[in-house]
Amino acid sequence: MENAAIFGWALLWILFWGALGGVVTPRIYARKDLEISQASFGGAVIGAALGPLSLVPLWIATPKITSRLIGIAIAIVVGIFIVAFALADPDNLCVANGGFVISQLANGIVIGVIYGLMALGLTLIFSILGVVSFAHGEFYMIGGMVTYFMTAEWIPGVSPIVAILASCVVTFAIGYVFERIFLRPMGSGEIERPTEYAILVTFGLAFFLQYFTQALTSAVPVKAQRFFPFPSLELPGDSGAFLRMTPGNVTIFDAISVPNPRFTAAVLALLMLAALLWFLYRTWVGKALRAVSQDRQAAAVTGINPDSMNTLAFSMGAMLAGLSGASLVQVFSWLPQVGIPAAARSFVIIVLGGMGSLPGAFLGGLIVGLVEAAGTGCIPDATRAAAYIPAYGMVILTLVLLLKPTGLFGREL
Amino acid sequence: MNRSRTLTWIVVSLSILALMLAACAPQAETVGEAEPAAEEAAAAPTEAPAEESEDMSMEPIKIGALAPLSAPGAVVGGEAMREAMLIAAEELNNRGGIMGRPVELIIVDTEGLPERGTAVVERLINQDGVVGIGGGYHSSVGVAAKEVARDNGVPIVFAETWNDTITSVQYDEIFRIAPLSSEVSAVDVKFIQWLRDENGMKLEKVVILTENTDYGIPAAENTTALLDGAGIASVTFSVDIGTQDFAGIIERVKAESPDMIVTLATGEASYNFTQQAADAGIGPQNVPTMCNQVSLVSDAFWTNVPDGNHCFVRRIGLPQQLYNDVAQALVAEYSARTGKDDIESYAMASYDSIMLIAQAIEDSGSTDPSDIIDALENINHMGALGPITFPINRSNTPDQAGVDPKWWHQFPDPAITIVQYQVEGQDATETTVVYPEIYQTGAPIIVGQE
Amino acid sequence: MNPTAIYRVSGTVALIILFLIPLASSELGGLGPLVLSSYFMHLAITAFFYAILASSWSLLAGYAGQFSFGHMAFMAIGGYTSGLIGKFIRFTTAPSELCTDLPLFGNWWLVILNIRRVGTIDESCLDMAKAETLPAGTLIVFPPVWASIAMGLVMGAIFGLLVGWLVLRLRSTYLALFTIGFSEILRAAISAEIPITEGQSGLELVPLFPGGIAGFTSTSKIPPYYAMLLLFIFAMALMTWLAGSRFGLFIRAIREDEEAAAALGVNIVRYKVLVFVITSTLAAAAGALQGHYIGIITPNTLIILQMSLVIAMAVIGGLENIYTASVGAIIITFVLELLRTSVSIGPIHIDMTLWRLVFFGILLMLTLRFQRNGLLFPILEKISRGGVAAETVSIRAQSDEELDEELEELSEEDGELSEEVSEPASGTDTNAS
Repeated sequence: MENAAIFGWALLWILFWGALGGVVTPRIYARKDLEISQASFGGAVIGAALGPLSLVPLWIATPKITSRLIGIAIAIVVGIFIVAFALADPDNLCVANGGFVISQLANGIVIGVIYGLMALGLTLIFSILGVVSFAHGEFYMIGGMVTYFMTAEWIPGVSPIVAILASCVVTFAIGYVFERIFLRPMGSGEIERPTEYAILVTFGLAFFLQYFTQALTSAVPVKAQRFFPFPSLELPGDSGAFLRMTPGNVTIFDAISVPNPRFTAAVLALLMLAALLWFLYRTWVGKALRAVSQDRQAAAVTGINPDSMNTLAFSMGAMLAGLSGASLVQVFSWLPQVGIPAAARSFVIIVLGGMGSLPGAFLGGLIVGLVEAAGTGCIPDATRAAAYIPAYGMVILTLVLLLKPTGLFGREL
Repeated sequence: MNRSRTLTWIVVSLSILALMLAACAPQAETVGEAEPAAEEAAAAPTEAPAEESEDMSMEPIKIGALAPLSAPGAVVGGEAMREAMLIAAEELNNRGGIMGRPVELIIVDTEGLPERGTAVVERLINQDGVVGIGGGYHSSVGVAAKEVARDNGVPIVFAETWNDTITSVQYDEIFRIAPLSSEVSAVDVKFIQWLRDENGMKLEKVVILTENTDYGIPAAENTTALLDGAGIASVTFSVDIGTQDFAGIIERVKAESPDMIVTLATGEASYNFTQQAADAGIGPQNVPTMCNQVSLVSDAFWTNVPDGNHCFVRRIGLPQQLYNDVAQALVAEYSARTGKDDIESYAMASYDSIMLIAQAIEDSGSTDPSDIIDALENINHMGALGPITFPINRSNTPDQAGVDPKWWHQFPDPAITIVQYQVEGQDATETTVVYPEIYQTGAPIIVGQE
Repeated sequence: MNPTAIYRVSGTVALIILFLIPLASSELGGLGPLVLSSYFMHLAITAFFYAILASSWSLLAGYAGQFSFGHMAFMAIGGYTSGLIGKFIRFTTAPSELCTDLPLFGNWWLVILNIRRVGTIDESCLDMAKAETLPAGTLIVFPPVWASIAMGLVMGAIFGLLVGWLVLRLRSTYLALFTIGFSEILRAAISAEIPITEGQSGLELVPLFPGGIAGFTSTSKIPPYYAMLLLFIFAMALMTWLAGSRFGLFIRAIREDEEAAAALGVNIVRYKVLVFVITSTLAAAAGALQGHYIGIITPNTLIILQMSLVIAMAVIGGLENIYTASVGAIIITFVLELLRTSVSIGPIHIDMTLWRLVFFGILLMLTLRFQRNGLLFPILEKISRGGVAAETVSIRAQSDEELDEELEELSEEDGELSEEVSEPASGTDTNAS
C-alpha cells in the first residue's frame, strides 16, 4: 500500500460517523415518538455514508427510514470504501487491471451461486422448523462423497446425473430418519427449550457423520472427474478473441476466464434453483410448505399436517446441501472435513440474507462469494490475503449480527 | 422413562469400569506382568512366531514410534509410516529380537498437534518405558517433542521432520535422518537454476505457494532468499492449510505471469491448487510447476489432479533403480502389504529409524537410553536409505567441524532428486528422473516455452 | 440419610482422594501396590482442565441459557496472553535503547522485544542490546509466570465483557453463530500472524514453575497437578456459591423467560454480561495454566472439534448441573484416552482411534434425545428422592409459577433492582429472535 494513510483515515471517518449516527439517531427518533426499529441501523449507515452532511438533515427532518434510504446509504459507503482503496493503492491489481477484476467478479458470482444453493437448504429448514442445522456441512460432504464413489468406484462410467440423483436420495434419507427420531419430539412439547436442543443435537449429528465417513473412507482426498467437459472451440476461428473453450476452461473476450467444473456446478445450481422454485410455488406440497412457514396454526387448520412438513423441510434442506456437495466434488478435493468451512459459510449467508428468507439466501450467497473474491484478490499483502480466507465470511457474520441481526430480508419478529 | 434410566445406569457403570481400568493399567505394568494392558493393544501386534518362544519369553525391549494417525494430522503419511515401522518390528523379532529379547513397538498417534505430541512422548517414556523413539512426521510435533525427550534423556530418531531448528538446538537426544528443510530448498533452487542455465528456459520470476505452517513458512523464506541470490524474483502466497477454493489466489498468480510455480503447500491443498490452476490455464501443462512431494502418491495424485502431467516433483531418497538390498527387501514386503509399487520416502525413513535404534541397542549392549545415545553417535548402519552415520556429534561439534549447527546429529546425505511425470496417469515409480544429472533417466519436458 | 449430608460426605471424600492421588504417583514411589505413572498424572491434569471448561460452560449454557460456541476462544485468549507476555516482555535495570523501553519505578524498565522474522534464529533486540548498549551487571528479569497468568485472566475477563455486551441482543441460534464467528476469526488471525503468535507451530510457554518448587523440578507433574486441582476446586466453589445465590436464580430466570424476568426486576444486562465475564475468566485461567503446563499452545485448540468435545462432555455429564458436567468431563477424558486403541475381532481390524469419536457422537445424540439431563444426573436424582425435598437440585423440579413467586419476593427485598426495571425492558425490544 502506497498511501495507507488515506485508507486508514477514510475508514476512521466512516466508523466515527457511523457510530455516532447509530447511537444518536434512535434517541432523536424516540424523543419525537417515531418508529425506532430501523433507527439504529439506518442512522449508522446514513452517518457512515456522508457524515455530518447527511446526519444533520436526518436529525432535523427525521424522515421515515425506508429500505430504499438504507440501500442508497450502503451503496455510498461501499463507493467511498472503494474510492479510498483505489486512491490508497493505485497499483493494486484490483484497481489497475480490468481483466483481473472481471475475472475475480466472475469467479465470485459463479461460486456465490453454489454457496447460495447450499444456504437455501439451511434457510428452508429454518423457515419451517425454526432451527439452524449444524449438520448442514456434513450433508454437503456426504453429497460429494456419494457422487464420487458412484462415478469412480461403485459403478465406474455411470452418468454424473445418476450419481447426483443418488446423492440426493442418500442425503434426503439421512435427513428424513434423523428428523423423525430426533427432531419430531420437539413439536409435541416433549422437549423443553427446543432451539437449544436442536443446536446441540444437530451438532452431535455433525460430529457423528463426519467421523463415521472418515472411518469408512480413510483420509485420502478424492475428487470426481469433470462431469461435462467443454468441447474445444475458438470463436472467431483463428484468434479465439471472442470465445475460447478448452475441456477445462472457457475464456470470453480474452478477459473473463471461468474453469469448466465451476461453470458446470453453477449451471447445475441454477437448474436446481429453478426446480426448487417451481416446487415451492407451483405444487400443492410446496405451497403447503410455504403456508406452514408463514403461519403454523392456520396451515394446520386447513388440513396440512405441520409435522410431516417439518420432516419434508428438513430432508429437503439436507438434500439441497447434498446437491451442492455433489456439484462441487468435481471442483474441490474431497475429505470428510470439507463440510466445516462450507457450513460456516452457509451460516454467514443465511444471517446476511435474513434467517428464513429464500431470496435472502441466494443474494447472500452472491455477496459472500464476491466478498471472498475481493478479499483474496485485493488485499495487498500476498502472504496474508489467502491466510485470512476463513475469516472474511466470519467478519461479515459478526458485523451483520451486531448491526442488523435480521439481515437483508429478515422478518421483523 | 424407566428403560432409559436402566440404560443410563449401564452406560454409567461401564464408564466407571473403564475409568478403573485406566487407573489400573499402569499398575499392572510396573509389577511387570506379561499380560498386555489395555493400551498396549494399541501397540502393534508384534508377537514373535511360536517356534522362537524360548528366548522370546524374556521381557520385551520397548521402542516407541510417532505417527499422525488421525486428523488434523496427515493421516495418509502416518498410515504409511505405521506400516513400514511394523515391518521393521516384525523383521527384528523374526531374526530373534534384540540381544535375544523380543521387541515391542508402541506406535502412538500424534494427531499432528504439538500439544498432543508432547503428551504422547511423555506417555511413551514414562508409562510404556520405551528406550528410544522413532518416526515423527509433522515438524511442529517434532519441535515440541524434542523438549520432552531432552527432559527425560531418551533418544528420538526423527524420520520426517524437516524444520532446521530441531537439530540446530543441538540436544544430545535428538537425531534426524530426514533432510534439512534448508537443504531441500537449496536443491529446489539449484534445479531451477539448472533449468535456466542448462536448458535455456526463460526464468525471471517464480511464484511460491506455501502453507502457513512451520514447514511451509521457513521453506518459502529459504527458497526466496536462495532464488534472490540466483537473480530470480519471487512472490510468495501463503494459505491456511484448510483452504479449498484457490480461484482468487490463482487469478493473482496469473497476473504475476510467473515463469515457474513452486508449490510448498502439502496435502489436499496442494492437489486443490494444482488442479484449479490447471483449470484456469496455468497448470503444470502450461507453466513449469514444481508440485509438492505429496504428488508422489500417484493414485491420489491422478484422482485429484487429472491435469497434472508434466509436474516436477522433488523426491527424497535414491531412485528406485539404485536401491540397495535392504531397500529392495523392504519395498517387496511393503508392496505385498499395501499394494503400492514403491515405498514413500518417509515410510522408508521411519523403517530405518526403528532399525537404527535397534542396532544402537545391540552395539551398546544396553537398554539404558544414555548408552543408546552414545551408540547412535558412533553408529554406522546400513539402512534402506544407504549407510547412515551422524558425523557431527559431541566428539565433533559443529564448532569444531566448522559447519552450521543445523548439521548436529543429522544424517548428512539423504539423496534428493527431481522427477517429472511425463505420461498422463503414470505411476510414481515410472517417472523420469530429470535432476541431478548423475541420476538422470531422461530430459525434462519444459512446457510453455515459445 | 439426608441428601445434603450425602453430598457433603461424598464430596469431602472425593476431595481427600483427589488431594492424595499424587502420593501414589511414580515420582513419589507409589502407595504400596498402587503406582500411578506420570502419564496418569498428565491425564488427571488434562481431566481437571476439561472439567473447568465443561463446568463453566454449563454455567453459561445450562444455567444462563447462553449457548456460546466461543468458550475455547476464551481459553486460548488466556493461554496466548500469558505466552505472549513471556515472549515479548522483560524487565531490566537499564534501558536497552534498541527495544521499546518503558520506565517503571526506580531504575527498572519494562522492555518490549521486537517482532522477529519467521523461520530464522535472528537475535532479539535485547540480545543485541546485551552486547552493545546495556551496561555490565544489568539484571534482565522474565515476567513471573503468575503475573502473566493473571494478565491472561484479565484479558479473558475483558474479552468476556466485550463479547457478553455485544451479544446482549442475540438469542440462541444467533448467539451460537456469533460466537462461532468470533472463534473462527481469532483462529485465523492466530494462524496468520506468524511473527507474533508463531502460527501453527505453536507458541512456546515457560513451565508453570520454571525453577521448580518445593523440591520438585520444573518438569514434575505434581506441582501442576495441585495447581490445576486448586483452580478446579476454586472454580467449583465459586460457581456453587454463584449458582446457589441470587445470581444463580436470576440467570436461570433469564434463561426461562427473559421478558418475564425483566418485568420482575432482574437487571438482564448486568447478569448476562456478568455470567459471560465469570465463565470466560475461568476458561482463560484454565487455558493459561494448561498452556504453561503443556509448554506449547497452538491455534488448533480453537478448532470446532475441541469445542464440541467440551460441549459433549458437559451434555453427557449433565448440562444443567456444574457437578455432573465436571464429573462427565473427567470420566470422558479418561474414557476417550482409553479407547485410543485398536481391536481385532477375528479378521476384522477396527481402529478405535476413529470409531471412538463415532460412538461418542452417537452417545451425544442419544443423551440429548432420551436423557436430557445427562447420564450422571439420575444418580443425583436418586439420592435426592431418598430424603427430604432438597434444595433446588434442578430448576425442572419447580414449576414456573413457584420460580416467579420466589423471584418476586427477592426483587421486593432488593429495592435497588426494581429501579432498574425500565432499562432492560427497553433493551429487549430489539431482540433478534
